Amino acid sequence: MDKWITAVIYGLGQGGILFLVSLALSIGYGLMRVVNMESMLYYTFGAYVSYTIMKVTGNFFFGALCAFGIGAILGFIVETQLLRRLYHKEMMFTVSATYSVFLIGIGFVQFIWGLNPKPVAMPIDKMVRIIGVSIPVYRVIVFIVAAVVYVLITLMLNRTIAGKAIMAGVDSRPQVEALGINVNKIFTVTFVIASGIAGLGGALNAPMMMVGPYMGFDMLLLSFITVIFGGLGSVKGTALSALIMGQVMSLGGTLWSPLAFIAPFLVMFIVILVRPNGLFGVKGASYAG
Amino acid sequence: MTSITNTVPAFGKYELAPHRRNMSILYPIVFILLLTISRYIFPNKMTLFIEVGIFAIYVMGNNVLMGYLGLVSFGQPFYLSVGAYSAALYLAHVGHSVYIAMALSIVAGIGLSLVFGPIFIRLRSSYFTLINAALCAMGLFMFEKLLIGVTNGNDGLWYRKKMNPTPILNLKNTSDFFLFTMIILFIILLIYRQIDRSALGAMFRGVRVNEKKMEFIGFNTFKIRWLGFGIASVLSTFAGSLYAINLAFVNPSLGENSRAIEVVVATLIGGVGSLYGGLFGALGFLGIKDIVSNFVSRWELIVGIITLVVLFKFSGGLWGVVSSITGRINRNKALTRIKEKSKMKKKVQ
Repeated sequence: MDKWITAVIYGLGQGGILFLVSLALSIGYGLMRVVNMESMLYYTFGAYVSYTIMKVTGNFFFGALCAFGIGAILGFIVETQLLRRLYHKEMMFTVSATYSVFLIGIGFVQFIWGLNPKPVAMPIDKMVRIIGVSIPVYRVIVFIVAAVVYVLITLMLNRTIAGKAIMAGVDSRPQVEALGINVNKIFTVTFVIASGIAGLGGALNAPMMMVGPYMGFDMLLLSFITVIFGGLGSVKGTALSALIMGQVMSLGGTLWSPLAFIAPFLVMFIVILVRPNGLFGVKGASYAG
Repeated sequence: MTSITNTVPAFGKYELAPHRRNMSILYPIVFILLLTISRYIFPNKMTLFIEVGIFAIYVMGNNVLMGYLGLVSFGQPFYLSVGAYSAALYLAHVGHSVYIAMALSIVAGIGLSLVFGPIFIRLRSSYFTLINAALCAMGLFMFEKLLIGVTNGNDGLWYRKKMNPTPILNLKNTSDFFLFTMIILFIILLIYRQIDRSALGAMFRGVRVNEKKMEFIGFNTFKIRWLGFGIASVLSTFAGSLYAINLAFVNPSLGENSRAIEVVVATLIGGVGSLYGGLFGALGFLGIKDIVSNFVSRWELIVGIITLVVLFKFSGGLWGVVSSITGRINRNKALTRIKEKSKMKKKVQ
């Protein structure tokens, strides 16, 4: 029984990471209809920057902050220089262009930090025992951070004027532009925030795994699964599906260890075939015609 | 009838787009001859040229999906590894004939397209991309963990001793295998050229450009896409079996997800949707990789930059560049011919 409760806590941490990382992908698709393969670049760079800062100063939380910053800067550059040229382009074109940017980014990572995976020390190594069950504190903190980010993002989207303009822009871009709102600017701001959050996700995930140049590849598919399961473009759906996917990976892995790797793909396969719009997706987005 | 074919150029049998008109049968012959000659000029690069031949078949399979149907798949390594394993498992556990192993891989490709085709091709392109990626991950898992009893997992299968030598071209011999690959590539290029010129190729392109219109005209677009998917998967599995026989060794790394991008990039470099794009893509991609690996240990940066440049500047890819040059030569020839004719006329007057 203890094993299962610990697994649930691990799953919460994993789900938090998945949510933070997938947000840029989800927002990129929901707002700009661009399938953004290079969103994992912010995650990779965030993890590496937090590794460097951690090594130099020893302060993990400053590292996480810098990771947010580097993610935001990269997001700004990519959005203004690349993604704007890709609106209304063919899907094949956007996928290949963003993927090649991802490859270039990985090349830079290899150039700066080398090929070998780097370990990052766990900032909070404590296990708290509650009713006889040992709970890893760090995973709980990660989950809380993700929850706070979710609350802030939903508040921003639903309570502020800018957020309402964004939501309206998702539905009908020309009408929002007709009201005199600069949609491009608002999209850029949103995208920069989302990519910063992805960088933060990378920094938070760094102590739980080895930081390597190819860490983005594995996460890319996982975050795609999360976004599709939740429904493309829906923040609520992404959060819920990240929670579910975290549990699927963690509980599945406890049940039979190879399941931790394969269960997400099984879920993805079934979701695309049975409910391709995801939990909160727009109807008819997935079929041809 | 002629008036109809003139007004609807895409559907007429001989009314093809201007850049396709000079697709004479000489092109595949020249390409294959050039590859064969260059293998004898650079004798120590033979493995590279064999790989180019096999990879070209694989890229041509992906080109049917990407170029003709407009579907990007990130799961092509799965089809490749199914073909490789169907050949390898036969050779390692059942029989000794290389040709039967190849035939088995083609059967496996047809089987795959029958099982997955109807499910996958209903999906819109981004979902098609991702469900193939998921399939690829599950296939990797299957070959690595589930079927570890027959596939030996990550250790792979070795079976060079079990392969029987074949008459005329001994496929156990590398230089003979090179010639065999070239012959196979030539035959596949001819078939591919026939498809491209026929109504089927026009139908593929029509589905890509405007599927609703095709349906409205009265085509069954589902069947067209299914057929395209089938051709792609058969070409991929066949390329897989060639890999398996060439190396006499197969392990699950052939079907890794991260390798899915190679074939997509190669298709882009060669020229999406063009007849000889697959060949040029394979040559360009493997050539760049071979040259770059002399200087840098990793190729991601260079390949990424090249892909971006190709995407934004040379949307026709390498084949687009080549065909624009040949097109210019042809046009110049035609122009000089016209000038000469007009001079002659003047002289007569």
